[in-house]
Parts: sequence; C-alpha cells; structure tokens
Amino acid sequence: MSAAVPIARRAAGDAAGRASKITTPRRPGHTILGVIIIAVMLFPLYWMLNVSLQPAGNASATPWLPLDLSFDGYRTALAEQGGNLVTSLIVSLGAVVFSLLIAAPAAYALAHFRFGKWVVVFLFAVLTTQMVPGIVVANALYSAYSDLGLLNTYAGLILADSAAGIPFSIILMRAFMMSIPASIVEAAYVDGAGPVRAFVSVVLPISRNALITSALFTFLFAWGDFLFALTLTTSESMRPITLGLYSYIGGFVSDWSPIMATAVLSSLPAIALLVLAQRYVAAGVTGGAVKS
Amino acid sequence: MTRFSRSRVAIAAAAALPLVLVAACSGSDGGTGGDGGGDGDVTELHVLDYYNNDPNKTVWQGVLDACATEVGVELNRESVPGGDLIAKVLQMSSSRTLPDVLMLDNPDVQQIAESGALAPLSQFGLDPGGIAEGVLSASTYEDELYALQPVTNTIALFYNTQTLAAAGIEPPTTWEELETAAAALTEGDQYGLALSAINTYEGTWQFLPFMWSNGGDEADIATPEVAGALQLWKDLLDAGSMSQSVVTWSQADVADQFSSGNAAMMVNGPWNFGTLAENAELEYGIVPIPAPAAGDTVVSPFGGEAWAVPQTGDDARMAVAAEFVQCLVGEDAVVEAAVGTNTVPTDPSLSDTVVEQVPNLASFAEQVPDLRARTGELGPEWPTQATAIYEAVQNALVGGMSPEDALAQAQNG
Amino acid sequence: MTSTEIRPGSGGLAPPAPARPARHRSVGRSRLVQIAFLIPATAYLVLFFGYPVVKNITMGFQEYTTRTFYTGEAPWVGFANYVTAVTDPVFDRALLNTGLFTVGSIVGQFTIGLLIALFFHRRFHLSGVLRSLLLLPWLVPMIAASAVWRWILDTDHGVLNRTLDLLPFLDGRPAWLTSTTLALVAVIIVNIWLGIPFNATILYGGLQEIPEELYEAGSLDGATGARAFWHITWPLLRPVVTVVLVLGVVYTLKVLDVILGLTNGGPANATQTISTFSYHMSFREFDFGVGAALGNILVLISLVFAVVYLRLNRRSIDE
Repeated sequence: MSAAVPIARRAAGDAAGRASKITTPRRPGHTILGVIIIAVMLFPLYWMLNVSLQPAGNASATPWLPLDLSFDGYRTALAEQGGNLVTSLIVSLGAVVFSLLIAAPAAYALAHFRFGKWVVVFLFAVLTTQMVPGIVVANALYSAYSDLGLLNTYAGLILADSAAGIPFSIILMRAFMMSIPASIVEAAYVDGAGPVRAFVSVVLPISRNALITSALFTFLFAWGDFLFALTLTTSESMRPITLGLYSYIGGFVSDWSPIMATAVLSSLPAIALLVLAQRYVAAGVTGGAVKS
Repeated sequence: MTRFSRSRVAIAAAAALPLVLVAACSGSDGGTGGDGGGDGDVTELHVLDYYNNDPNKTVWQGVLDACATEVGVELNRESVPGGDLIAKVLQMSSSRTLPDVLMLDNPDVQQIAESGALAPLSQFGLDPGGIAEGVLSASTYEDELYALQPVTNTIALFYNTQTLAAAGIEPPTTWEELETAAAALTEGDQYGLALSAINTYEGTWQFLPFMWSNGGDEADIATPEVAGALQLWKDLLDAGSMSQSVVTWSQADVADQFSSGNAAMMVNGPWNFGTLAENAELEYGIVPIPAPAAGDTVVSPFGGEAWAVPQTGDDARMAVAAEFVQCLVGEDAVVEAAVGTNTVPTDPSLSDTVVEQVPNLASFAEQVPDLRARTGELGPEWPTQATAIYEAVQNALVGGMSPEDALAQAQNG
Repeated sequence: MTSTEIRPGSGGLAPPAPARPARHRSVGRSRLVQIAFLIPATAYLVLFFGYPVVKNITMGFQEYTTRTFYTGEAPWVGFANYVTAVTDPVFDRALLNTGLFTVGSIVGQFTIGLLIALFFHRRFHLSGVLRSLLLLPWLVPMIAASAVWRWILDTDHGVLNRTLDLLPFLDGRPAWLTSTTLALVAVIIVNIWLGIPFNATILYGGLQEIPEELYEAGSLDGATGARAFWHITWPLLRPVVTVVLVLGVVYTLKVLDVILGLTNGGPANATQTISTFSYHMSFREFDFGVGAALGNILVLISLVFAVVYLRLNRRSIDE
C-alpha cells in the first residue's frame, strides 16, 4: 500500500466547527452547473420513471414525456413488492452494521498498531479478496449454508452481503485513519484509557466521515446484490427486492412497466437514507472549514 | 488485575462478535423448515418449476393443485426465475436436496439425465400416451424416457393485419415472398420484419426453422443448406428490411417492436399473446414460418417444459411423484394448461379441443407432428453447437463475414 | 515497506507506545489486544473468501461438469482446462476487450469523478443535496439500469440517437449496440456512468481531509488554481487516489452484469471479456472446470496489476 502522507488534521476544529455553523456562499453559477451535471447523470433514471408511467408495449420507442399516464406498473409493484422492500432494508442495514463492526477495528489496527510487514501482507490479502468473482463465492457458500441451515435466513444474507463491504471498508477506512495524528490517541492513553476505549471514544468519533462513507457504500453494495439473493434464498417470504424484480422477467416475456415502477419505488427509502447520511458528511465539511 | 481482566474481555468480545451476531440473527428468524417425511405415508411433494410470472404461475398452480388432489398429497411449490433453474438444480443435486417433482426446459432434460439425477420413468411404468415422437425424443436419454411434457409451443410468423392490408400484401409463404413483402413493408420508421438474432439460445432457436426447413443439420453447420438460410437473414438485413438491432433483441424485445408498430411482421411464439393483447389497437394474424420454396415442409423446434422425477433416494415419495407426473399429462391437465398459457398439447389428438377455445393457436398446433427436438441428435452436446450457431449468425450479420466463412469457423472451433 | 513507511503524526508515534516503563507489565497483553482487533476480520475473510478461492483453484484442475454435482466425481486433468480456455478462438478477443474495457472505464470514471469531486468541494447553494443525488445510479438494480440503457442506445428509436439527429453535422445514426466496433464503446460509456458516483464520492471524501490552511499558505506563495492542485491537492490526495484506482481496476476487471445486461458479450463477441467468457463456460455450457480456469486467470491478472501498480507507486512516493 502507499505510504501515508502525514496530514495535520483538524480534529479539534471538527468539534468546534459544528457549533459555529457558517453560511453557505450563494454562487448561483455553481448551482446551475451543478444542476446540469446531476441532470445529465440522472437522465437514465428519468427515463426509467418515464417508462414506468407509460402504457405497456411502448418501451422501445418511449416519448419524451409520459403524457399517456398509466399507473398499472405501480399498482402491480406496490401489491407484490412491499414485503421484499422491507427484506432488502433489513438485510442492507444489517450488512452495514456487521461490516463496520468487523472492519473498523481492523482498519484502525492496520493504520496505527505496529505490525510491521504484516500490515502489507494483510492489506494485500484483503485486496486479493476483491479480485474473486462473486459467483465463485456464491457457489462455495451455497453448500456450506445448506449444511449450516443458513439458507433463507436474514443472518445468512447479511453475512454474505458483507462480503463486498468488509474488505472495501477495511481498505477505505485504513486510508482515512492513517491521517489521524498519533498524538490524539496518545493523549487518551495518558488519561488512562486502554486501546479499546481509546478506539471507541477517540478514534471512532474522529473517523465519522470515513465510517459514513464506508457505511454508504456497504449499504449500496448490499442493496444492489443479486447474486447472493439468488443463490442463498429459496422462499418467497425471504426475498430481497432485486430478486423480486427478476420475477417479472419470464422465460421469453418481460413486463417492463412494473419492473421500472419497482425500481423507482425501491429507490425512495434508499434516497431518504442517502440524504440523511449526507447531512452528517455535510456537517463534517462545515466543521473542517472552520480552522482554529 | 482490573486491567488484565478488561483486556481479556476485550479479546474475547472482539473474537466472538461475529458468532454472537450470527446466533442472534438466525435465532430470531427460525431455521429452514425441513420436510423430511419418512418412508411411510407420503403427504407432501416438493415441486420445483420456473413458472414464476403470470399467467403461467397462476394457471399452473391450478393444474398442479388439481393433480395434487387427485394423487392425495399437499404441494410445496417453489418457482425460481427462468434463467436460473439449472444452477439451482445443480446446487440441489450436490447438496442432495432435489425436489420430488422437477420441471425442466426440454433441451435441458438430457443434460440433467446424463448427470444421473433423474429417475428413468420406465421403473414406475408411466405411459407417454399419444405424445408426438419428436417431443418424446427430447425427453429420452440412452433409450430411457426421463420426463413427460404435457404442452409445447413453437414459433410462427405474426403479421400486422392493418399494415399488410393497407399495402395490399398477402402474408408470405415462401422465402422469396418473405423478402419481397418485407422490403415493400419497410418505410419510414417501420421495418418489414423483426426477429431475434441475439447471441443467446433464443437467437439459435429462431434460426432453427429456417435452417432445418432448408435441409440443414445441427451436427455439421458448415454446409450449403445452413449457409442458404443464413444468407436469407443476411439479405433481409442488408436490404434494410430488418433493423440491425435484431442482433441485440430478445424475443420479448421483438414482440415490443411489433406491438409498437416498428415492424410489420415478426417471428415469435404464442407466449406473447398476453403482451400483445395489452395494445388494444393492434390487430394481427399468424401464419407458419415461410418455407424455402412452395410446397416445402417447414420444420420448427419445439419449446416448453417437461416434468421429471429426480433421484431423491426415497422410493415411496418417488412413486407418488411419478403418479403426479402421469396426472400432469392427462387430458384435463393438458387442456387446462394449454388454454391458460397459450400452448398446444404435445398429444395432437387433444389439439382440436384447445384450438376451439384459442383460435390463434391453430398455426402452432398444426406444426406439432413435424416438430423437431433441439437435442434429438446431439443430446447433451447441444449447448456447444447452439453457441456455435448463434455465433455464426452474428458474425455473418454484423461481423463482416460471409455466411459460409462464419459457419465454417463456428463448426471448426 | 516498513522502513519507507511514514508514520502518521510528525514524531512517528504509534499508539500504545509499548516501551514505556510504566506500562512494562502490560506489553504482552496489549500486543494480544492489538491482534484481537484483527481477529474478526481475519476470520471473516478466511471463511468467505479463502475457502471459495481454494475451491475455485482446485476446480480449475478438474473435469467439473453437471455430472459432478450429482456424483461428486471430478477427475484431475492437470492443465487441460487452461489449455482449452487459452486456445479458444474467443480468448484473444476477450483478453483484448478486458484490457480496453478496463482502461477506458477507469480513465473515464476517474477523470470525470475527480472533476466532479473538485467541483463539489467548492461549497455552494444546494451542493449537499446535489451531491447525495449523485449516488442515485447505484440504487438502481442492474436489471433495470441495463434495460433502460438498451432503450436509450437503441439505433432506430433510442433517445440518444433521436437527440443526435438534431445535430446538423452528423450523418446517419451510430449503431451503438449492434456494430462490432461501437458496442465496446457503448458498454464502456455505461460502465463509466456507473463508476462516477463511486469515484466522485471517495475522492470528495479525500479532498475534505486536506486542511484549508495549506491552500491559504500556498496562495501566499502564489500557488492558486492549477498550481495549487498539482502542488497541494494531488500529493495529499495520493493515498485515496491509490485506493480508488486499485479497487477501481480490480472491480472493473470482474464486471459481469453490465455487459451481460447490455450485450451479453455480443455482437459477434465484440464485448466478450474474460469475465463474461468465464460465466458463459460455467453457466451456459456447464463446463465448470474451464470456467474456473478462466476465473483464476482473471484473478491472476488482477494480482499482477496490483503488485506492479503498488510497487511503481511506492517508488514514486519514495523519490
């Protein structure tokens, strides 16, 4: 891994900054450009919304606007996919919690404890795990899960869906935690804290941005997972939304309007979560801007 | 002392965390309910199929329930997405959790039979009845019958009645007529013909009636007969009578193009009736796929699924499962399934009853005696050759190769 | 590595400073505690990656077919699967495509992602909300996203070509998904679209960590604009850039669903990569041994890249 560049951080200013919130500059030109960038990026999503509101049999030559409104897709989606959305939320949030619990201590240890060359070995092993195609993991897990009775359980899916999140979070959080000055942790030791308490009460709060970023991506990895959902669940009562969507695609027939409607509906709770999480990241920004 | 014990606790907690979490989560959910019934009374059958969307899902539920009542068992039915049934079956066979009754797409039957996971039906004394010869050959591996297929489907030529009438064109019956009609019907945003030349088995499936009707054979595709069929497709594409997008269209996309008026004719199957019916303005007719020349026989592949009894090791359950499969090819089940899912009986003697109720199926039903199995000749080797066929089709259509070169390259690897 | 590693904090002080006389008795214990921080992650990685990888490696040396699942018999065949895989006429094409796809995707998504991150780093009205919206493409299930993209890119009726029709200087409609030359470009474009949120978000996080006073000090020395970027931002962003690039390449090499959803490797194998080829061998032709061999080749390519990149990168930082 790359050597960490010492970054004199503003840990103290972080706390101070939260109290004295400064106002955001107006910069209308920036806002307009920002809106344009997002509009271009999100155009395919608009198209999805557009298709979801079109009557059937119109998917390939969709008009620019859904003037001929049809809510059939939403009716079907709401009736059939509500439970699957809840399943997806439980699994994704579970994977976030589980991944952070496993990854955060490891990332901290790799960033701050003196393990010598073992750090490199471990990180390289972590990196290697990211090279393994998902199918390989899913296939091997199936037989193990069926022996352990983990098929069709929340626990099973949460564990498997953390497969992307844990290695990713370790690598990402370690890169961020490298920049926490040792002197801050040192101060906690002087106050009589052990390594666990120093980690929980000093390191974790400072690393809030890294934690939230890792959490966001772990959530997204788990939310979008299709492979594990497919291989590790068999019952309709335990079915994430990605798999639910798939049930609209039959052997040779595809009914696109409920698919797109489900995709749109399934984004809503996740959007709420994203906005919520971004608030915290934004608070960190404000804090960082105010330097003591 | 306090420091020491705290460290201990920290180590233990950190190491045990995942296990605790697992235990907590799985505890709250409850395990998978095993249905491990003994050898004695068989009260429940585990059924696996891929009819996971309507109308198939509901119609088959009705058919399955009726047979369950007749045999006197409860059903535990699992429907998985179509593309993933085989992966599921393989996983189940390695973990010895195969279902009692298994539905398979007909070209997969021999593959699974070869693996040893299916029981030969002769050991239960099952009677295939009047099922057409071609259909039975797909379910037969090394002279043993492994599955029974109640209903089938194939492809034909759909045409937009209004468009053809407005242009004063009759539905084509020969390749020459097809080329002329498709060219004449191409104008503006509308193509004369749509079909699926996608790089999946769907593309191969659509090419087969052209290839077989011209005397081609899947064992060796580097022949003038196969090249002739491929030349027809290439000519249609080069003339602009069909979109270059045919190489990316699945059959569902083709139906969508036809329904929205982007194509005047399409090659497709009866499973699209439901989708097409959603467009109230669309009026269409169906004729058999055009033959190379007038009077030639059109040979089409057949689709549809067969029902098998996997080797679960529980003889009593397997016997009941066999009884259940026999019921599925009985007249009541076949007619209900055929009418409900727009398919035709594999037993031609039941066709009339079905066509009476769904007249659109006539062009499909009349092909049943001549239908050919994709796996009839090559058996489990079929997937390799099916890949070679769609690759050759794509290379000739958009890869800049001549049909002869494309086929020769595909045949010789 | 240890000798060149620059420790966080100017004094190179690592936490629990084991040499301190006051803590003398707890040296062994605190080492154990430190190791305990790593135990859960290690256990997880061994179970969820170590075991599958070992299984895949052995599978590559076996004749593993549908039959194997039922009978459990998988005869050893040495390197036969690798020979079959490498001598397949599709392999060369797939290898080339894998390279083009990876380089194209990474260059595109990293550059655009960095520009977007820099742009949003200058706070303005609505910047927070817009930034969170940027992650939305990730929420869309791949089945839905690839279908939408197929319609957008459709030659005859796609909204992209309908828009291009309005341009006066452009003749004819590009056949995005059906031409053997353009299909790879189209697949790369879609993959860039998918990768931008990842790159932008993480690079943005990295930018936030750079203290404002460095720029203030820099501006006194006349380092503003591009100069500030090259002399302050880029060097300090390096650890995060490394993470983004290495993970980006590793993730891109094994991309499967994007390509399967858009072109399934076609037309005429124009977008076939090692990853899709492996999938095809395993799950369409049921030749799991060859599929596993291809998967192992892919992991090997990833490994070689990671080693080479990290070595070069370390050298350039040492200088």
